[in-house]
Amino acid sequence: MILQNIWHRPIRTVVCVLAVGIEVGMVMLVVGLTHGMLHDSATRVEGVGADIMVQPPNSSYFLGLTSAPMPVAIANRLQQLPHVRAVTPVLFQFESAHGLSLIWGIDMKTWNQVTGGFVYREGGPFQGPYDVLVDDWYARAEKIKVGDPVNLLNHVFKVSGIVMHGKGGRLFIPLTTADNLAEQEDRASAFFIKCTDPGYTQAVIQSAETLLPKYTVRSVQEYMSMMTSNDIPAMTDFNAVLIAVAVIIGFLIIFLSMYTTVTERTREVGILKSLGASKGYIMEVVLKEAWLLSALGVVTGYLIAWLGRKVMVTVFPTLTVELTVQWALIAGVLALAGALLGALYPALRAARLDPIEALAYE
Amino acid sequence: MRITALQIAPTEAASELAMEPIILTDSLEKVYRVGKVKVPALRGVTLTIDQGEFVAVVGPSGCGKSTLLHILGGLTRPTAGRVLVDGNDFCCMKDAEMTRFRRDKIGFVFQRYNLLPTLSARQNIALAQEIAGNGFNPHRFERVTKLLGIEGKLNSRPFALSGGEQQRVAIARAVICEPKLLLADEPTGNLDSENSQVVLSMLRQLNEELRQSVVMITHNPEAAAFADRIVRMRDGRIVSN
Repeated sequence: MILQNIWHRPIRTVVCVLAVGIEVGMVMLVVGLTHGMLHDSATRVEGVGADIMVQPPNSSYFLGLTSAPMPVAIANRLQQLPHVRAVTPVLFQFESAHGLSLIWGIDMKTWNQVTGGFVYREGGPFQGPYDVLVDDWYARAEKIKVGDPVNLLNHVFKVSGIVMHGKGGRLFIPLTTADNLAEQEDRASAFFIKCTDPGYTQAVIQSAETLLPKYTVRSVQEYMSMMTSNDIPAMTDFNAVLIAVAVIIGFLIIFLSMYTTVTERTREVGILKSLGASKGYIMEVVLKEAWLLSALGVVTGYLIAWLGRKVMVTVFPTLTVELTVQWALIAGVLALAGALLGALYPALRAARLDPIEALAYE
Repeated sequence: MRITALQIAPTEAASELAMEPIILTDSLEKVYRVGKVKVPALRGVTLTIDQGEFVAVVGPSGCGKSTLLHILGGLTRPTAGRVLVDGNDFCCMKDAEMTRFRRDKIGFVFQRYNLLPTLSARQNIALAQEIAGNGFNPHRFERVTKLLGIEGKLNSRPFALSGGEQQRVAIARAVICEPKLLLADEPTGNLDSENSQVVLSMLRQLNEELRQSVVMITHNPEAAAFADRIVRMRDGRIVSN
């Protein structure tokens, strides 16, 4: 009977399934996007190949949101610490003209010492102060070739090379140019330290903390572990609000649909009651129908999330969307729970209908 | 609660002991409230119907026939008086017990057939078995559908069936679980005379072959003539029995 009811009202069924599907897809894509972007950002920091990061006191996890930059000269003092192979300063600048991009101002010589250098897909290193290196994903997304002009920080830069993604940022300019554009001199937002051996990481951290008390000194591994949405309060709240909105929409759609269905089928409820169907049986019929609709919606939601991810990474190659089994299960359970909750009142209403009034319903 | 005829009417009990009546009502009253106005639908109905009997209840519109049928079927409770169906005193039963009683002991046939439009004839009939929780009984199913002549229509939805066929499916659904009592509310009210004859013949046949007790409400004297006994009602009272 439940399958027949679902089949018999195709438009209602499609609307419900799509609504729940969009709910599930939205939860998975939003969470997948925030997790993916954070993870991608952290992975690219790891890709620098350094063991330790040094940032000014009270710095944010977000590299572009650092407090007052530090003198570049600190790099020389860090370089003197035992077990330090190389130190490279980086000045971060936000560019908002073409979306929100983080530009890494780097000193190419020390950068190469810490990171082992870029892998060039096309072109080569900076030839002049207003040269820019872009990674291959950014180049693909913005359809940029070597030699193309790129407007950054209100200046026209020339693309000198396209590098393989995964090493720090997506846009690199010379450190001196970044300093000049920020109207600063010899300043850096962060230092990346490469140890002579990763086993010396803790020892170097202790030495750096002694040298630079109040500065934020942490291993890159620690930074990686902190770059999850669970550790970033605003991100957790953002996700929670979006998930709540999605679940409420799913709840309301199922509530409205089942309420309308029960009203429309009042006479059928009366027939069931005349056949001796108990309140439990009638509630079960309504709840099972809502459950089946939302289960179909959950499957549709997985499809929407999968397709959505495909479209997003095709249209915006620099975006990273991580669809995880864990969040697929959470989104599915939330949708099913919301649907059952939404169907509860209509089910109770159906169960409590007076059989004679229900049978007389036109 | 099961009560015998002896408990409700000791003086009449001796004659009832041989076969306990399927229905016993005593001074049954039902008052509906429409806004602030009380509308009496039944005003002291006392009635006895024996097991296996086919009784027609006739009377003008608003005389309380349907109300009596609804009370006998456990769809609503009387305001006063007592009603025993197959020894079960409705006054002492909770809602859930009434529902179980209806499921196990009563079969309804309505004027408007009341088949579920999304289900086929077969599914409509099987639904009663599902609700009863007895599982599908193929022998009973075959016997009933053959008796009612609907074997060839079982896969059709109600909209694809004629009125007479729909009513036969409704009767099959009502009797598939072998209820003690079949309550028919104007079963021929929506049918032409030919189909009416077929449906009434089948009710009669069920009554004779399956010893099915039947209470049928009707306006139609020809339909009433199919019954063993005719009970006439007027203004909420039985005027001839």
